[in-house]
Amino acid sequence: MLTKFETKSARVKGLSFHPKRPWVLASLHNGVIQLWDYRMCTLIDKFDEHDGPVRGIDFHKQQPLFVSGGDDYKIKVWNYKLRRCLFTLLGHLDYIRTTFFHHEYPWILSASDDQTIRIWNWQSRTCVCVLTGHNHYVMCAQFHPSEDLVVSASLDQTVRVWDISGLRKKNLSPGAVETEVRGISGVDLFGASDAVVKHVLEGHDRGVNWAAFHPSMPLIVSGADDRQVKIWRMNESKAWELDTCRGHYNNVSCAVFHPRQELILSNSEDKSIRVWDMSKRTGVQTFRRDHDRFWVLGAHPNLNLFAAGHDSGMIVFKLERERPAYAVHGNMLYYVKDRFLRQLDFNSSKDTAVMQLRSGSKFPVFSMSYNPAENAVLLCTRATNLENSTYDLYSIPKESDSQNPDAPEGKRSSGLTAVWVARNRFAVLDRMHSLLIKNLKNEIVKKVQVPSCEEIFYAGTGSLLLRDADGVTLFDVQQKRSLATVKIAKVKYVVWSADTSHVALLAKHAIMICNRKLESLCNIHENIRVKSGAWDESGVFIYTTSNHIKYALTSGDHGIIRTLDLPIYVTRVRGNSVYCLDRECRPRVLTIDPTEYRFKLALVNRKYDEVLHMVRNAKLVGQSIIAYLQKKGYPEVALHFVKDEKTRFSLALECGNIEVALEAAKALDERSCWERLGEAALLQGHHQVVEMCYQRTKNFDKLTFLYLITGNLAKLRKMMKIAEIRKDMSGHYQAALYLGDVTERVRILKNCGQKSLAYLTAATHGLDEEAEALKETFDPEKETAILSYRKSVPEVDPNGFFEGAIAAKGKAGQMAADLDMDAPGGEGWGDDAELQLDEDGFMDAQEGLGDEGVGREEGGGWEVEEDLDLPPELDLPAGAGGGAEDGFFVPPTKGMSPTQMWCNNSQLPVDHILAGSFETAMRLLHDQVGVVNFGPYKSLFMQTLSRGRTCYLGLPSLPCLRSHPQRNWKDCGAKQGLPAVGLRLSDLISRLQQCYQLTTSGRFEEAVERFRVILLSVPLLVVDNKQEIAEAQQLITICREYIVGLTMETERKKLPKDTLDQQKRLCEMAAYFTHCNLQPVHMVLVLRTALNLFFKLRNFKTAAGFARRLLELGPKPDVAQQTRKILAACEKTLTDAHQLNYDPHNPFDLCAASFVPLYRGRPVEKCPLSGACYSPPYKGQICRVTQVTEIGKDVIGLRVSPLQFR
Amino acid sequence: MDPARPLLVQHEENGDVDELFDVKNAYYIGSYQQCINEAQKVKPTSPEKETERDMFLYRAYIAQRKYAVVLDDIKTNSPPELQAVRMFAEYLSSQNKRDAIVADLDKKMAKSVDAANTTFLLMAGSIYYHEMNTDAALRTLHQGESLECMAMTIQVLLSLDRVDLARKELKKMQEQDEDATLTQLATAWVNIAVGGEKLQDAYYIFQEMSDKYSSTLLLLNGQAACYMAQNKWEEAEGVLQEALDKDSSHPETLINLIVLTQHMGKAPEVTSRYLSQLKDAHRAHPFLKDYLAKENEFDRLVMQYAPTATA
Repeated sequence: MLTKFETKSARVKGLSFHPKRPWVLASLHNGVIQLWDYRMCTLIDKFDEHDGPVRGIDFHKQQPLFVSGGDDYKIKVWNYKLRRCLFTLLGHLDYIRTTFFHHEYPWILSASDDQTIRIWNWQSRTCVCVLTGHNHYVMCAQFHPSEDLVVSASLDQTVRVWDISGLRKKNLSPGAVETEVRGISGVDLFGASDAVVKHVLEGHDRGVNWAAFHPSMPLIVSGADDRQVKIWRMNESKAWELDTCRGHYNNVSCAVFHPRQELILSNSEDKSIRVWDMSKRTGVQTFRRDHDRFWVLGAHPNLNLFAAGHDSGMIVFKLERERPAYAVHGNMLYYVKDRFLRQLDFNSSKDTAVMQLRSGSKFPVFSMSYNPAENAVLLCTRATNLENSTYDLYSIPKESDSQNPDAPEGKRSSGLTAVWVARNRFAVLDRMHSLLIKNLKNEIVKKVQVPSCEEIFYAGTGSLLLRDADGVTLFDVQQKRSLATVKIAKVKYVVWSADTSHVALLAKHAIMICNRKLESLCNIHENIRVKSGAWDESGVFIYTTSNHIKYALTSGDHGIIRTLDLPIYVTRVRGNSVYCLDRECRPRVLTIDPTEYRFKLALVNRKYDEVLHMVRNAKLVGQSIIAYLQKKGYPEVALHFVKDEKTRFSLALECGNIEVALEAAKALDERSCWERLGEAALLQGHHQVVEMCYQRTKNFDKLTFLYLITGNLAKLRKMMKIAEIRKDMSGHYQAALYLGDVTERVRILKNCGQKSLAYLTAATHGLDEEAEALKETFDPEKETAILSYRKSVPEVDPNGFFEGAIAAKGKAGQMAADLDMDAPGGEGWGDDAELQLDEDGFMDAQEGLGDEGVGREEGGGWEVEEDLDLPPELDLPAGAGGGAEDGFFVPPTKGMSPTQMWCNNSQLPVDHILAGSFETAMRLLHDQVGVVNFGPYKSLFMQTLSRGRTCYLGLPSLPCLRSHPQRNWKDCGAKQGLPAVGLRLSDLISRLQQCYQLTTSGRFEEAVERFRVILLSVPLLVVDNKQEIAEAQQLITICREYIVGLTMETERKKLPKDTLDQQKRLCEMAAYFTHCNLQPVHMVLVLRTALNLFFKLRNFKTAAGFARRLLELGPKPDVAQQTRKILAACEKTLTDAHQLNYDPHNPFDLCAASFVPLYRGRPVEKCPLSGACYSPPYKGQICRVTQVTEIGKDVIGLRVSPLQFR
Repeated sequence: MDPARPLLVQHEENGDVDELFDVKNAYYIGSYQQCINEAQKVKPTSPEKETERDMFLYRAYIAQRKYAVVLDDIKTNSPPELQAVRMFAEYLSSQNKRDAIVADLDKKMAKSVDAANTTFLLMAGSIYYHEMNTDAALRTLHQGESLECMAMTIQVLLSLDRVDLARKELKKMQEQDEDATLTQLATAWVNIAVGGEKLQDAYYIFQEMSDKYSSTLLLLNGQAACYMAQNKWEEAEGVLQEALDKDSSHPETLINLIVLTQHMGKAPEVTSRYLSQLKDAHRAHPFLKDYLAKENEFDRLVMQYAPTATA
């Protein structure tokens, strides 16, 4: 039993769940009715109008109403939206025990200690029926959920079932008029009652406190002071006791059917809640409280929730977890539903049952760990008593019929949790809380000593997260050591990001995000329970609480994405989609708006282009975003949002953007703004702006000084003038002093009556005339002070050092600001970070060096001692031992390598080449296709050889190991291996195209080379079927035809054409060429050549033959037209001028060496590989086509498939 | 416990943490720079551990072909373990000194050897293996009982095509410490040699290691070998491309690419490009030695055939 919510209050006598919202009403013994939100765990409202205990309470299913009944004999109907009592129904003469709405009609059913049950119409606010018959307090009365029945329980020890169909017919049939019931009535004029007792159930031997109908079956459950819970069955005519559940040892206060399962819940004054199995009538679970007697139970109409009221409050609870067990791998979700393991493909949304689980446990699967390599799952089941928990190891069947999946035999063992730690290892936390490592056969491989822990979680290959009471430890199973620990209380779930670089630790009310090394990056507290989470592709953690989907960045920023009606369990997040499972284990996809967290993520990553894009395109603008940006230190970004000039101004100052600040200041034109801007601009050396600010604020002193330090003498002089006009004597004098203008100074002093000072000034600076004039105006004797004055300020060149420096500084400042604005400030950050790193590294290195130094010294010392004590050579026992071992160690002989097997297993030449056995390969090629000149085969041999072995590295610095890819690796075993060939018929065929292109473009010699390579490669093929053998043969033929033809053509072009005989020979060869079997596109070209030659030779008859053949091939229109013309010309004189050795009608083979026709029936020698024909004298020579085979050699024939050896 | 078991194992079974784990692990999976970094970071608790650390440090330098570091750093007064490492570095660094070094080694081996100096055995075994003197290598390694001696024994046996014996040796390793990185790697090697279904297991071992630690050329080529042995050429291409990105002239990667490109039916020029690269950078690689030997053999064999008549 899982407690979801608890309240403390006066005794709770009545309870009602709201059918849709997460609310529960509790009516208390002190007269108060409380409305709680059990999900948020808050008290929403209080209704305090009853006088004395309130026992009856019920929400209306559709309307915002609830009804209550109390010991003040009143039934009150409330509107919770209006937060007030709408009206009160009066009529009962004693305490009211229960009040219920009818699910359909506007009725309220009440049971009272006045021994009656009443039905009220809350629309007309009248009592429509009084049910009499019980002869003691009626403790409970409820409507049937679908039929016209009422069940009631009374301290008269009976349970009664009432038929109220009469009432319904009378009152609710069309046109019926509800009669108000006065006094005890319910019997109409004709004696037919509105409500009649249908069954009286006698069996309890004390007062009955509660009776309730089953939601769908004709069953009733009752609980009584005889400490028993009884189940009754009824049909149309009778009702009888079915069974009794004994176990409570005090009065049973309440008993209800579980809305969806075969269970009964009851509670009692013995301070316990009990759950009973309906079919076995045995107790399944007991939940006890120490001090509080239970008074009432309520079941949620739709959800798996119950509430129970007791002496000092109420609890909301559920019987079992509803979290589905699931695991995600790649695009697959695996989850358990109804004893099936199901697989959901996120991409295709294909949802299939892959396996049926072994039954036997009454508990649902608690958690799952999936192993993609072995396609195996570990399913953990938690028992009420943790020590009885078990896990099952299943291998998921490869093929499965979704309608009726296999139920493979799993391996079950006891253990709290089992998770995979490697492809073939899993860790089990057993009930003694020690850690076992097991293999795929479920055998213990080793036991690992671990720090105390109560739960384990997956943490990547070879690692686990161990949870103890107040922290989580990253533990390396191989090294058996803890790598890191982080403090967080009671972690319940752990969610790793796809690349395992981050992990989210979920506790009941907290989330902590850590990196791979378990260093905490951020901590988030939630008031509502945290349910589940998943990482999206961009590294944002999306999680759910009971009522929200939220996000968290690793920087700790978090917020709400959307609200939820019911809890869901996130399985995966991709783009705008949140994939999840709901409590019914249905996979669902919710859509979210990721803008906010994407925006924040972009900010954190300083991807300002993305940020600006979002700013421009998304509806993000709002005070909250601006405040957020300002708070988080992105004033420069916030600037883009702000329209309000004042905010804009302060933001601009904050990020040091003087331009924007100036703009804003101009718009605002307030003294304080100018002052602030002046200060900021001064700091940045933006003296033009400073000047403007001082001007605006009329701050003459500062302005003067500014001109002084910027060396702007002209302006300074103006300032002097202004001071004069303003009659600011000291300002005037100061400016004069700055300017070094002695005359002016003397004048000022004179004008303000400081004659002596004026005289001194004049005298000091050698203005004798002035001095003399002044001297006369006062008594020089009185003034004894001698002033020695030097020019205070050197006359500064307007473009002098000062200005230059300041201008430069200003520029720099500007640039810096610009950078902040546009370029990712990340640079700045990066630099800082790097700098730090460097420093760290340096520090480390230094430390390392230091330590090493010390260590060395020690080492040296030790070494000396060792040498003195035990020189290894003198260590006799060891030596002898070594020797002895040496004695009986016999080095093994070399084994049979796969390549040797290949030679043994195959008669195909390529297999031997791949094996590196050139000698046998050559023998085979010689015997099969008559190769006698292997020179041209060299590159093919070497290439083939080089693809026969792959290599992999064993130990470092050692020669690599070799592996030999085999084509029958799946089933060859140790002895039957054959090499992977790596040369495919299809590849060779595709290479033909290249040759054809070369032919078309007239590069005959190159083409011949390529054709020949293909031809020579054919014997190095391995093919699987007869068709491919035939294709290979055909490929040889094609190559041969082209090679013969093209060689002849090349030869022809070299021949002289001076004499007639020579010309005749040329024509003959051209004619023979037309008898090579070529592609139509090539044949067109060949025929045109022959046609032209013959036409020129005036052998019109033969030429006409060529022309017709040409036209048959369907050449291009222009070619066809020209050919037709020639044909017409030929047909005028259909004769041949010269006799040639060419008879188109007599079939012949062409000798590939001499290029003469060998007419049928004449002796012919053939090349054993290419099949090229030769006249007999060439026998024994090298074939001109292949250049490797011997003409006329007696051979076995081409062998390219094992089929040919059967 | 079996009293014959070496000390190292006892340590581990006592639950002691191996402080050099990261150093060793990085070395074995071929992450040499990381090994060096870790070695410089770790602070050994005992002089023995320090020597052990240095041993791995210098061997990592050797694996990076930075022989000079090793030759300069290790002095004549350094511990005997490190002297052995120096010997190996010297052997690898110069072709012409090799014979002298081997002769010297033979002499040392003829005397009784301190079997506790595992490093010496390993280095001697390595030299003999490079010399393809497998008998001597196995004889030497037989005296050691550390996991690495066994792993090297397995490698030698596999190069002799004695999968049967390699499996036996592997079983011994597994009895000692099944989950050790070396045992896992050796399992993968043996699995590749066994072939068939075991290839996938071997692949997973490499895959798991690169997931858990980092992907290295050693692990990637291991994966590629598994894929190619299963004729999964496309998958192998991805892995080898990753390896090529890490080091474009890594000899084993190039060799595997030579195999791969042909099997994928790529143009012969692509293959020959890799071959030229290999010839360019790694003339002494056994693959090329074999290759050249085969070319010579071919030329010799060609002479045995001739047409009966000449034109």
